[in-house]
Amino acid sequence: MLANALLSLVERIINHVLQLDSSLKDNLAAISDKQLLIEIRDWQQRILCVYSDEQIHLYSTAEHHFDCMISADIDTLLTLKNPAMLTQLIRQDKLDLQGDLHIAQGFSNAFAALNIDWPEHFSRYIGDAPAQQLWLSLQAMKRHGVNVKNKLENTLTTLCQDELAVTIHPLELAEFKQQNRQLKNQVSQLEMRINALLKSC
Amino acid sequence: MNENQQKTTHFGYKTVAENDKASMVADVFHSVAAKYDVMNDLMSFGIHRLWKRQTIASSGVRKGHYVLDLAGGTGDLTSKFSQLVGETGQVILGDINSSMLKVGREKLRNLGRVGNIEYVQMNAEALPFPDNSFDLITIAFGLRNVTDKDKALRSMYRILKPGGRLLVLEFSKPEHEALSKAYDFYSFNILPKMGQLVANDSESYQYLAESIRMHPDQETLKSMMEDAGFEHTSYQNLTGGIVALHRGFKY
Repeated sequence: MLANALLSLVERIINHVLQLDSSLKDNLAAISDKQLLIEIRDWQQRILCVYSDEQIHLYSTAEHHFDCMISADIDTLLTLKNPAMLTQLIRQDKLDLQGDLHIAQGFSNAFAALNIDWPEHFSRYIGDAPAQQLWLSLQAMKRHGVNVKNKLENTLTTLCQDELAVTIHPLELAEFKQQNRQLKNQVSQLEMRINALLKSC
Repeated sequence: MNENQQKTTHFGYKTVAENDKASMVADVFHSVAAKYDVMNDLMSFGIHRLWKRQTIASSGVRKGHYVLDLAGGTGDLTSKFSQLVGETGQVILGDINSSMLKVGREKLRNLGRVGNIEYVQMNAEALPFPDNSFDLITIAFGLRNVTDKDKALRSMYRILKPGGRLLVLEFSKPEHEALSKAYDFYSFNILPKMGQLVANDSESYQYLAESIRMHPDQETLKSMMEDAGFEHTSYQNLTGGIVALHRGFKY
């Protein structure tokens, strides 16, 4: 039941996205009422996905009725944004596909072509010019964020790859030992001299 | 048969004449119809939506199917089924209570669910449909109010198509003792007060609590379904057994 609770949240978000990009409905119309069953092997979950009555319906189910079924690990499923990967993954035995391939491709293509006109949606609340300005600012922030992320990744990579002098070099240790021995000898000599002077007094 | 010999049944914890139960249940639902959805959300803390969602997930419903949502009340299940069966399918929202049907019809029309839904006032014990008519029958939180449950289950079996399935979503027996005690306290102390405050009707919600306790437990209901002819019967406990979803097939 927990899976269905989470899926109801995801379903709400996706259906909200459907309202934001009208072209998505057109792209999904061809696979309307077709049942796509997605089996996530490593999570042991089966999710039924149907586009019907201009809404996406998602259910965690144990049913075996479907028009198309995709079975794969979650990592493999996440690479499916590119529909061209499908056949390659099937050949590599990373993905099992049963039924009508066009249904899986239909869903994948529709969401890959998702293009929400955010300034248009913002403009309903704050007007055209501020909406455009807000959108440009958000884009600039996104670019800046990507730059910062790249720099951090580069720095981290450099730190991991470069050899750091965490301990002293063996040669330094040998030199230190030698100096230590010399000092010890000098101290012994000094001690002998002092003792000799004390005896003579 | 004289009056002393007439058959009796339970109405909550009371014993009443079988012929009277339907009208007494009808009175309860006439009384709560207007606030039914609000009270459902309040009483179950919204969890009834997840129980119904689980029912839909287990229904196997698809485009073109004929679905009967028995005791459908305010149409929560009908609304989703209507979307899933599409224009070529049909959903019948059936309820014995005209007030509940009216509320359901108004709600679904306001949601734009029209075209493939019919509203029929009916008694679950004598369903007014030909044999082998439906791909799916659901009865959510309704079976415990039916006077003769065996007769109702046989009636459902008759109108189900071969390959069709029955889903019974109903209150049941909690699996753990601690949960059972907490649930009893909530049902008999808090629920009627809630009913009094929100719907100005504590008696109906007292009946709700009592009728749940009088309803057969998971295994008994499963046997009743098998006796009615259903095959591959199974049940799934939801929220620790407070509610159970029973499933049976006709082959």
